[in-house]
Amino acid sequence: MQTDPRGASRPDVQIKIGGAAGFGIKAAGRTLARSFAQGGLHTFDLIEYPSLIRGGHNAYQVRVSPVPLHSHVTPVDVLVALNTETVMRHASEVVEGGAILYDPKTTSVDSLEDPSRFCLVPVPFDEIVVGAGGQRIMRNVAALGAVLGLTGYPLEFLTVSLRAQFAHKAPEVAEINVAVATKGFEYGSNAGCPFPVQLEPLTDAPPQILVDGNEAIGLGALAAGIGMYCAYPMTPASSLLHFLAANDREYGVVVKHTEDEIAAMNMVIGAAFGGARAMCATSGGGFSLMVEGLGLAGVSESAIVCGVFTRPGPATGLPTWTEQSDLRFVLHAAQGEFPRVVLAPGDRAQAFELTWKAFNLADQLQTPVIILGDSYLSDNRESLPPFDLGEVTIDRGKLLAEGDVGSIPEALDEAGMYLRYKVTKDGVSTRALPGVTGATQLVNSYEHDEYGYGAQGEEPANRIAQNEKRMRKLQLARKLVPRPLKFGCAADKSDLSIVCFGSTKGPLAEAVSWLAADGLCVSVMQIVTLWPFPADEVQFYMDRSTRTMVVEGNITGQLEGLIRQECLRTFDWHINRYDGRPFSPEQVYATVKEVIFGARAE
Amino acid sequence: MPALSDFETPNTPTWCPGCGNFGMSRALRTAYSELGLPFEKLAVVWGIGCHGNGADFTRCQGFHALHGRALPIATGLHLSNPDLTVVVEMGDGDAFGIGLGHFAHSCRRNLDITSITHDNQVYGLTTGQASPTTEQYAHSPSTPTGVLEQPVNTVGLAIAEGATFVARGFSDDVEHLTGLVKEAITHRGFAVLDVFQPCVTWNKLNTHAWFRDRIYKLEESGWDPTDRAAAMALTMTTFSELTCSPEECRIPTGVIYRETGRPTYADGLPQLTGPLWKQALTPRDISKALAEQS
Repeated sequence: MQTDPRGASRPDVQIKIGGAAGFGIKAAGRTLARSFAQGGLHTFDLIEYPSLIRGGHNAYQVRVSPVPLHSHVTPVDVLVALNTETVMRHASEVVEGGAILYDPKTTSVDSLEDPSRFCLVPVPFDEIVVGAGGQRIMRNVAALGAVLGLTGYPLEFLTVSLRAQFAHKAPEVAEINVAVATKGFEYGSNAGCPFPVQLEPLTDAPPQILVDGNEAIGLGALAAGIGMYCAYPMTPASSLLHFLAANDREYGVVVKHTEDEIAAMNMVIGAAFGGARAMCATSGGGFSLMVEGLGLAGVSESAIVCGVFTRPGPATGLPTWTEQSDLRFVLHAAQGEFPRVVLAPGDRAQAFELTWKAFNLADQLQTPVIILGDSYLSDNRESLPPFDLGEVTIDRGKLLAEGDVGSIPEALDEAGMYLRYKVTKDGVSTRALPGVTGATQLVNSYEHDEYGYGAQGEEPANRIAQNEKRMRKLQLARKLVPRPLKFGCAADKSDLSIVCFGSTKGPLAEAVSWLAADGLCVSVMQIVTLWPFPADEVQFYMDRSTRTMVVEGNITGQLEGLIRQECLRTFDWHINRYDGRPFSPEQVYATVKEVIFGARAE
Repeated sequence: MPALSDFETPNTPTWCPGCGNFGMSRALRTAYSELGLPFEKLAVVWGIGCHGNGADFTRCQGFHALHGRALPIATGLHLSNPDLTVVVEMGDGDAFGIGLGHFAHSCRRNLDITSITHDNQVYGLTTGQASPTTEQYAHSPSTPTGVLEQPVNTVGLAIAEGATFVARGFSDDVEHLTGLVKEAITHRGFAVLDVFQPCVTWNKLNTHAWFRDRIYKLEESGWDPTDRAAAMALTMTTFSELTCSPEECRIPTGVIYRETGRPTYADGLPQLTGPLWKQALTPRDISKALAEQS
């Protein structure tokens, strides 16, 4: 039995739908979230699924609240069990008095030790669907209707959503779905037990969007003027490929599903040479294949963006679960030394913003920019105010896209020959794209001279000049990259200061607000740019804190080690999670309380 | 239009005296010059190997890529700016060893680019190991008891996987090779030109004389390059038996297969209307995509 540390004061409801893969669990969950979000409520989704298409167990959680949300929570208020396995797996997550919706014909609740602790709501999903002339796949729609009935939420948001969803099919399809939902709603409304939590739409609420991390990154790339996206399918990055492929003709993007990730990375580098804004994305396994090309991007000074969305490794690992174990990998990937930027969005709004900024950084620095995410960020949707497109800017750095190299005298030698790798103060040379008159050049994977020729690349003085030129770009990067974000209490007034990166920010933000309600003052620093590392700011932050803790989703303490390396600072406590699941706010809340009240020794 | 000498750089070629790369380099420059390609229209991508050192000796808009990865670089470049004429130079290790997957998939795509392979049946730059086109049972430092694999049927592979122009040349016959390069570049679609170019330092079997004794020109034999099945059969019967006598095994050069009119990869991309850098002049209005997220 789960309990919520916030007790009865919490305003939110968590609904979980479970069933076999192929039951339409994800579609149902997303439709449910849409029904709430269009009523002005805030939602945060959590999807759990195995790496197969049929036969495994799927679950989708929707957390809904009148106040903004930062993450999922573990306790479930309403469990929709489309099969017996859902009851057996998830009943333990349901709170005291929580509801379990099930069809007694197909789903048994015999495994419940103490059924009286739950509000059991039998709903004949199969019968409803058959009665409306529908198909068995529509049981999830009957379940959604029942959930709305149970929670007192108006049915109209669901029916509008269903009609929109099936608008491209024969009209009777939508109407059968609406009939099924309506019947389910009646059963939910007349549940034979009192369900304590009721949900109401907010009046005059501002419009919202629903995006997962990959959709946010895709939107950011589109806004930034991406010209080419290349990828090989790999969970959890595949849905970004689908999103951009679905939008390619509308927005003039070339989207290529390549033969492998090696080709994806190299095509992106070729497209960048041609002047396109170009991006690839994958997970750790695919990035392993891209590593060779990443080094090429570094030495050839190619402006590319690469998404690395971590799932637990090594090798095939846990394909559909989450982890933060590729931080060190992306920091060090590829032989030799070259400058790179690594950005880690903590939520979907940051994912949008950091993606369009990543394209600017790549162009300004002419070097690879990595967006480091994870399954928790990629897969799960949250409701947000629509992204502010007016904030998006495009800065292509030192670039001559057309005309004649005569217009960039700073990039020419005395004879007027173009110097692709001209040694400059900030390390960035002016790019003249192929097609520009006089832009003969050699972009080179070998060490090279200012023209790009490899013949003189081996000369010690040249090697030093080009090596130092490239690495100087990191100094420029420090002035351009996003700074760490802080929330909660000020470090010098906090009971505890926590450092994190990436999507762990969400559960931390949630937990910090609960701790604040308990009178505890917790500060959090989210390191947004992992490279170049903001050592001064992290060091300053830690030095002002009386107690420090690092929270990260890996077994070896990669961020902790990085901070020790860069700041010569150690933490008083750490929480590491590496079971494939995201941090939950309950876990953070409980651990922080133990730390502050001295019950936890390091 | 660039003259032959305009392609020179301050760098002196480092190829061995007698290397087949000299003939290839001359044929390529002559073709570029005779086609009247201005510098800003032509882009060349090299892989890694002795041939790739030619990147240093050729003034152009060039990209000296990674070993085996020249084709994906060229693909990205071509699709990012379809106005460019893109030529790829690779070695036999590049195209048929480490980059074989990219080669096969590039054929399938019928990309409008030209793939020219320096086929010397040996790894030259790494000192003489067997390559994917080395004859079966040949000895080398990496195969001291003989190569156990049969050589890759390079032109047959290209035909099977969908290249729409497949030809073979010989670096000693610069005039003939120049003509083939021009045909390959002007062909609309994926053009494969596999060129025998003897390695005088490491390959003591497939020498200049060895090739000269066996080579004939298809166009002089009344060959019909539009018959795909016949072209495939031709590649099956001749190319994997290089040990046989000059009289027994004649090696055809010239255009083995040509197909016109098949859509190129870019033909399937109506959104590709010009250089892709023009997509990033101002932030895109994505309000429609954003609205679809509600």
